[in-house]
Amino acid sequence: MADHTSPLFAAGVKEYRETYWRPGYEPADTDILTAFRVTPQEGVPIEEAAAAVAAESSTGTWTQVWTDHLVDIGRYQAKCYRIDPVPGEGDQAIAYIAYPLDLFEEGSISNVMSSIVGNVFGFKALRALRLEDMRIPAAYMKTFPGPPNGIQIERDRLNKYGRPLLGCTIKPKLGLSARNYGRAVYEALSGGLDFTKDDENINSQPFMRWRDRYEFVMEAVLKAETETGERKGHYLNVTAPTVEQTFARAEFARDLGSPIIMHDYLTAGFAMHQSLSNWCRANGMLLHVHRAMHAVMDRQKHHGIHFRVLAKWLRMAGGDHLHVGTVVGKLEGDRASTLGVVDLLREDRITADPARGIYFDQEWVSLPATMPVASGGIHVHHMPDLVEIFGDDSVLQFGGGTLGHPWGASAGATANRVALEACVKARNEGRDLIAEGPDILRGAAVHSRELAMAMETWASVRFDFDTVDTLDPAVTP
Amino acid sequence: MTRAETFSYLPPLTDGELRAQIINLTARGLIPGIEYTENPTIRDSYWKLWKLPFVDRPSPEAVLVEIDQCVAHNPTAEIKLVGYDNIRQGQVVAFVVRRPE
Repeated sequence: MADHTSPLFAAGVKEYRETYWRPGYEPADTDILTAFRVTPQEGVPIEEAAAAVAAESSTGTWTQVWTDHLVDIGRYQAKCYRIDPVPGEGDQAIAYIAYPLDLFEEGSISNVMSSIVGNVFGFKALRALRLEDMRIPAAYMKTFPGPPNGIQIERDRLNKYGRPLLGCTIKPKLGLSARNYGRAVYEALSGGLDFTKDDENINSQPFMRWRDRYEFVMEAVLKAETETGERKGHYLNVTAPTVEQTFARAEFARDLGSPIIMHDYLTAGFAMHQSLSNWCRANGMLLHVHRAMHAVMDRQKHHGIHFRVLAKWLRMAGGDHLHVGTVVGKLEGDRASTLGVVDLLREDRITADPARGIYFDQEWVSLPATMPVASGGIHVHHMPDLVEIFGDDSVLQFGGGTLGHPWGASAGATANRVALEACVKARNEGRDLIAEGPDILRGAAVHSRELAMAMETWASVRFDFDTVDTLDPAVTP
Repeated sequence: MTRAETFSYLPPLTDGELRAQIINLTARGLIPGIEYTENPTIRDSYWKLWKLPFVDRPSPEAVLVEIDQCVAHNPTAEIKLVGYDNIRQGQVVAFVVRRPE
């Protein structure tokens, strides 16, 4: 056999850092920037590991290929431009990588994910890898429509101003018949809540098919509205086995007059989610977004994707509400880090802030905002903290904290509404919610037996565990 | 009885409490406005305006005077105080300040 070795093409393996480690590179305004927490395998220099991340998430492959020479590789290659050691974490470092805009399809989170968090996470030269943050350039942001409605439109449609919204997940999660489920919805809404919610695992099971649930729930919503004179809604979960089923459920919810539907964006996937978000925009439907499965990706400090990135992607893909954790309840969530995520969802411009785990400035260029949802193991004693932490533009959801009231869901709802309004009123009067919270609640309970009973019931429930995903003090570019 | 709008689950605001809310509203740079209706219905976004919103940074007393005027002229109406935010370019505060007995 003839020797086809070409003198013009040097086959073999080149070190990644020769091509992809560019210290001092000045990122372009149009570059997507990432901050990765890189843990190299023993013996792999950090520059080589970081450069490998840049390579494997852009143009590089493990060996030289002759077809490289047919393209202008420099136009597409990602560049690792800065490496900061992580204090107290041994050989770990934060690697900053810049990606040229042409690497990405317009308006596609799926494409961003396949590119940036694709194969590279299984790369053998790395012991662990975590995507901490991502700067989306304005040029790329403008290719995403964002939330279908946004906070201001939601408030205007619901006629609710100057306070957080109140919700409740209907319990037990599984097993209620459609009519019994509607009863719990009616009780909670007529007692003073703004919203009730399907649990994430309520889709369309044998004990309660979706169509039956929607009909009874909407009867309950409309009745509670008529009785209270206040606009209300129930997050009808449209998450379904297929795209077609999802839209069929969304359309039925719309036809029944529901103002809001719910979707699980991570389990259903971004392509499905973006289509549904567009449908919501076209149909004047609010979109409540749940994040089931997020902790699989975001909880471990050294490997995965930080939730702030998953939250950014959701605001880009579209959602009017997003669950973010409560800081004070039963689910994981470091306070500073959660507040950073809340800002990323609500503000139009965010400044890099290492104390809150935010590595990059981020401009949202007038994309609508997403309301953070605090849900999970919270009760009436948490109300002053929650109002202080989350402010007005949030949804506070008390599931057990509503339905678990000894006198029933309606009394539980009233207790929470009284506590919420008392905290907002006190805050506006200049009182300190953290220092005076218990006093404020006690004062409000004088006028509300429901609140007094709720305070007695949950007096000693606490969830004091250490956070697994803590922040490291790090320098910001 | 309907219980719509913020603060509707608390006892009616006293004059002093109302004044504190107005001070907070103006201190935040919001523009107060007064609305009223004889017939509050659930889908009605547009109650009647009492005069015009206070676009010239009013004193809390000026707002209280106009609320009283509105009550005097419309004794059977519900009266609402709203706060407009000209940076966010929308309404951010609203609560009913007087409900007829």
